[in-house]
Amino acid sequence: MSNDILFLAEFAAGTPARSALELATGAAELASQSGGSAVALAYGSGAAGGAAALGAQGATRAIVLGDEDRPAITYAPALVAAARDAGLALLAPATPNGRDLAAALVGSLHLPAFGPVRAARVVDGVVETEQATLQGRVITTSRPADGAPSPSVVLVLANTFTPAEGTSGSAEVTQAPAADESAFSRASVTESHEADAKVVNLEEASIIVAGGRGVGSEEGFGPLRELASALGGAVGASRAAADAGWIPYQLQIGQTGKVVKPSLYIGAGISGAIQHRVGMQTAEHVVAINKDADAPIGEFADLFVVGDLFQIVPALTDEIRRRKGG
Amino acid sequence: MKIVVCIKQVPATGVDKRYTDDLTLDRTSVDAIINPLDEYAIEQALRLADAGTADSVTYLSMGPDQAAEALRRALAMGGDDAVLVTDRALAGADEWATAKVLAAALDKLAPDVALMGMASDDARGSLVPGAVAAMRDVPLLSYGSELAIDGTTARVRRLSATGFDWISAALPVVATVTDQVGEPRYASLKGIMAAKRKPLETWALADLGISADELKGAALTRVTDARPPEEKAPTERIENLPAAEAATKIADWLAARKLI
Amino acid sequence: MTYLLTPEHEELRAMVRDLAEERIAPRAAEIDEKQEFPWDLKELLAKQDLLGTCFDERHGGTNLDTIGQSIVAEEIARVDATTSLIPIVQKLGALPIILAGTDAQKDRYFPRLASGEWLAAFALTEAAAGSDVASNRMRATRDGDDYVLNGSKRFITHGSVANVLTVFALTDPEAGGRRGMSAFIVEADTPGFAAPRVEHKMGIRGSPTAELTFDDVRVPVANRLGQDGEGFRIAMETLDRSRLSIAAQAVGIAQGALDASVAYAADRQQFGQRVVDFEGIQFMLADMASQTEAARQLTYAAAARVDVGASDLPYWTSSAKLVAGDTAMKVTTDAVQVLGGYGYITEYPVERMMRDAKITQLYEGTQQIQRLIVARQLLQRAGVAKRG
Repeated sequence: MSNDILFLAEFAAGTPARSALELATGAAELASQSGGSAVALAYGSGAAGGAAALGAQGATRAIVLGDEDRPAITYAPALVAAARDAGLALLAPATPNGRDLAAALVGSLHLPAFGPVRAARVVDGVVETEQATLQGRVITTSRPADGAPSPSVVLVLANTFTPAEGTSGSAEVTQAPAADESAFSRASVTESHEADAKVVNLEEASIIVAGGRGVGSEEGFGPLRELASALGGAVGASRAAADAGWIPYQLQIGQTGKVVKPSLYIGAGISGAIQHRVGMQTAEHVVAINKDADAPIGEFADLFVVGDLFQIVPALTDEIRRRKGG
Repeated sequence: MKIVVCIKQVPATGVDKRYTDDLTLDRTSVDAIINPLDEYAIEQALRLADAGTADSVTYLSMGPDQAAEALRRALAMGGDDAVLVTDRALAGADEWATAKVLAAALDKLAPDVALMGMASDDARGSLVPGAVAAMRDVPLLSYGSELAIDGTTARVRRLSATGFDWISAALPVVATVTDQVGEPRYASLKGIMAAKRKPLETWALADLGISADELKGAALTRVTDARPPEEKAPTERIENLPAAEAATKIADWLAARKLI
Repeated sequence: MTYLLTPEHEELRAMVRDLAEERIAPRAAEIDEKQEFPWDLKELLAKQDLLGTCFDERHGGTNLDTIGQSIVAEEIARVDATTSLIPIVQKLGALPIILAGTDAQKDRYFPRLASGEWLAAFALTEAAAGSDVASNRMRATRDGDDYVLNGSKRFITHGSVANVLTVFALTDPEAGGRRGMSAFIVEADTPGFAAPRVEHKMGIRGSPTAELTFDDVRVPVANRLGQDGEGFRIAMETLDRSRLSIAAQAVGIAQGALDASVAYAADRQQFGQRVVDFEGIQFMLADMASQTEAARQLTYAAAARVDVGASDLPYWTSSAKLVAGDTAMKVTTDAVQVLGGYGYITEYPVERMMRDAKITQLYEGTQQIQRLIVARQLLQRAGVAKRG
């Protein structure tokens, strides 16, 4: 068993997902603590061509599980074969694809599993993780049990690691050995639909203006878009707004949507129920605007503004534009 | 077409929960409910039953005796019967052990679709469905906002980065659905009354051919510390100000933190 | 005799409470403000089988015991008194048929009432005949195989939204109200029937309280309940049972006000501490809680007696309605007091609860009538001879 730190790297059209870059950085950090190397397990269309560039984030090697555009879960057999005993830990993003592949590993190889974690490190030769449990009320620290098989599978929340500014490294790319097919291989995409409007990937936004039930309508998001624009940020929403059809589901932040970690999050007309909170609670600065003085979001916001968002948001937009000299 | 919905009973949110001194979750004397994300799986299964696509809906749960309550609540929403796998050896089971037990129970029940929600509220175990699929060597169709069956094929509608895809596989499958399925129905009064008469079987590990030893010491992770999160600075509040004044104060606050 | 609250009762309560908190409570303020009958909530309750609790399974009902029915009314009233009237009046309107109807009449009307497809109403009160039921004036004149109804009714809850009404009219005006009144089932689409206006009220404002006019309304003999002249007795037996629903409603209103008071007082700070930490407030809350509980237990005790057909039924149901109604008024008034200025404004629900509570002291027999009933039963028990 080596001290390598493996990580999943998903590609689409030759471009790595942001999670791939984050995990590369994280794996490199842990590898420097363990004395091993950061090794990418790359999959998805264009992975073969794009994997070498992961070296810029600190990956020493990259094993290409496959290069085609097919559902991530179909790479599970190759992943299981490549991951067996291959390192101390395997980092997977806490995204649907990451979880599916991690689950396939845990089920096939009976590995210790952690997460989703908000911090990970190597201590005393084993991986140690921190996760928020009981709706964020308790932070637990965990390790593999003595004698547990390896690698430990660690689900990592978005924005736990910040991608390093590219250095000039290049990872050594090899093909994974051919693996036996399993039932996982039998899923296929039968229809593919593009959304009508292009949506920003919220996980990468550093400023987010989010709207909830209080916004009231699709038109109600207009002032929020203006504010986001003035701040140079993106628009997000709670599940209530997505369910009501006011914005596309890709913009939903929360337990069943995106987990975001912007430096500024402004929530307007959002009550702050736990399902939404878990999606944004690690934002650096949280501002909430709500006409309900008792809204739960008021308890964990850094700044809570009680008032009518349809008056305050436009006023704030104007003030910001004025200060920016626009 | 037979569906088995796997559900989990969890402590109600908002209730005072804590870790015991030996750093396991204190599950005693807490109001228990169906894991909210499992309700969407129940709702999806019942819609397929309403449409005549599913001939039977069975609920499966693993837990202490008390978990039978969650199964009765599910039966009150609809469905035909339920199975509870309960055994002292299952106390403190981790995701792998849970998956192993559920996989064995599902092999015994042999559904066309083993349907689950996407995660659980308390331990956030999103790995169980995939692990179950791996153990049973059955395709996984996950994170569906809708599940559809066409003859001998199942497909899920899954959001992608830029829109959505339909991903399909031949039956039998393991499928998971998200909250985008739509509001779960309330149990009607007739449903509650009928639930009492629906069959609920209890199975022990021996009934699944699993020995307690196989699961004993199966927990591969251990919690070494539990602490409250970092103290946060108290919330600053702005209220009872006209919009323009509030806006100025907010902008000042943002500027002080170099956000604008 | 004792009564038992079973696990099934608790399950029922949990189900109705969830439904009430998630779907009814958010609508309560709007219903009160717009004075609109909540058709959407009626559909919801129908779908949940909550409008069929007093009907047999053979008619599609769920045949809940009276305690169960009380729990349903109580849990809905806890969040909205107006909506709680939907199951309550469904039972009230159907009770004359339950008590005196033939199987043919039950088979004809109960399935659609149990499913909630149709609504029922009870039309007894007239402009000049409230507490004094016997002074009713509406007439039902026999004509061949029909009765022809002429007259008007006032203060009929749901009179303008009901599909079927149980109506009381004099078939023998000479004999007077006690012996000359008969009961009829009238379908609302019968020609000559109209609900020309509804009242503007202090409370339960989403519940339409209608004036009804009957202008040569023809009702077949097959729709008469019991025999000619049995109307007064049927009406009284109906009210002996239906007033218990009002007791349950009152208990629910009181509980809702109490819960709101506790939540507010625990949050509000004055003079450097939480309002709930002042003993004076705790004393008020304790009184509110213990009185509400007493009203509740009396209501269940009365409900149990209804189900065994106790001979002193009116003693119990009148006591329950009396105590519960007065309790609701007191508790809601105290709730406004606990919330202070905030209790007076519509942003908080307690002012609405106080306005809603008042009706429980007035309808289905005023508190004064209830006192007369209790006194009469009391004296009878004690062997005190009637006034000669």
